[in-house]
Amino acid sequence: MPYYIGDVIKEEKRLIARTPEKFRDTGIDVKLNTSAEGIDADKGIVRLSDGTAIPYDTLILGTGASAFIPKIPGVELEGVFSLKKLDDAIQIKNFINNKECRKAIIVGAGFIGMEMSEALRVRGIETQVIDLLPRPAIRWDPEFSKVILEELTRQNVIFSGETGIVSIEKGMDFRLRMKSTRGEMDADIIIIAIGIRPNTKLAHELGLQIGKSGAIQVNFSQRTSKEGVYAVGDCCEVYHRVSHRWVHIPLGDVANKQGRVAGRNVAGGTMIFPGVVGAQSFKLFSLEVAATGLDEAEALNSGYHPVSNIIWGNAIARAMPGEKRLGLKLVADRASGKLLGAQAVGTLGAVNRINALSCALWTGIALDEIAYLDFAYAPPVGPAWDPIHIAAQELMRKL
Amino acid sequence: MSKNVVIIGAGAGGASVAAEAKRMDPSLSISLVEGGPYTSVAA
Repeated sequence: MPYYIGDVIKEEKRLIARTPEKFRDTGIDVKLNTSAEGIDADKGIVRLSDGTAIPYDTLILGTGASAFIPKIPGVELEGVFSLKKLDDAIQIKNFINNKECRKAIIVGAGFIGMEMSEALRVRGIETQVIDLLPRPAIRWDPEFSKVILEELTRQNVIFSGETGIVSIEKGMDFRLRMKSTRGEMDADIIIIAIGIRPNTKLAHELGLQIGKSGAIQVNFSQRTSKEGVYAVGDCCEVYHRVSHRWVHIPLGDVANKQGRVAGRNVAGGTMIFPGVVGAQSFKLFSLEVAATGLDEAEALNSGYHPVSNIIWGNAIARAMPGEKRLGLKLVADRASGKLLGAQAVGTLGAVNRINALSCALWTGIALDEIAYLDFAYAPPVGPAWDPIHIAAQELMRKL
Repeated sequence: MSKNVVIIGAGAGGASVAAEAKRMDPSLSISLVEGGPYTSVAA
């Protein structure tokens, strides 16, 4: 959706994978602008906001998650938005297209905050990002945050860390005035992007088990604790193959897979969703930023003995003109030599390294094999000794 | 007698359930209930 707002994706219909008509053509009854008000589990009935009640033998909760909006004065003012659903994106884009937007403040420097900072800059809006934490994209190592901060600065995005939002008021010269813990700032548009919470109201009503993460508990078949009830997507948990825990990782690609697994099982098939290794990425102007697996803190928490290293390598062969600096961090378990996690930042090839390492995490192979893995080598796309090989070999010496 | 399948939410998850379940067993009676105006948003 940030790409739609930044007008890289021009039309909202391109964001829709399957229209209601396509569903109806196959005989699926689609009810739009209709919410489920309540569920009568004994009768097997869902009560809808249009006053009707529909019977079910099998129920699937795909209720998603909602943007967390802090209870502070002014969040309801015109020009303050959150971004979770397509409707939000359309409203934001229309606002930027039709109203004067000289300055923007983004509250929250995670994925959405980062992608939105690029979207708004591309639209020519002066952009500031604030966050309670001291650096943006906190999932990444401080050394990589530095690179991210440098890119933000190069693109004239101001980052203010350790800054909390206190209130929003109508502004004088600009539409809005924000009071933060570090002073006051002007904006014509404010985006709140400080996290999302799973929508579990119906799950609670049904008495479903909720996981420690706050999201609905499911098993590998996407079944919940109640017979005949499944859950998929942002509202439920997912199994993390490296930490061996059920966690809340709300991502669109995961939702697609879980949905297909549940769909197969509902129809009488047998399929499991084998979980995730925690692969994640975003693009920020010229940078690719990616991570997978666990960081040291998560690894310790999961019972491992983590050791890590960071290398700065070249994403292309040294002989090629120019250099594409690539930062790569590996985390491994001292006891077994198993790779536990990785992060990468660079203008080229960061995501593809993390994808390769995500496969390594999936199979649980150790550093000694990773150090000699077979990659498709050609000077424009990598050195003969890839940064992955070099990082793994170096980390092995630390075990 | 066809099973009644009700899916609450037509985002990436719910929409995928509907598509796959119908594909696997066309005799299923499937309802896809969505609070907003759009289905199957890639987000």
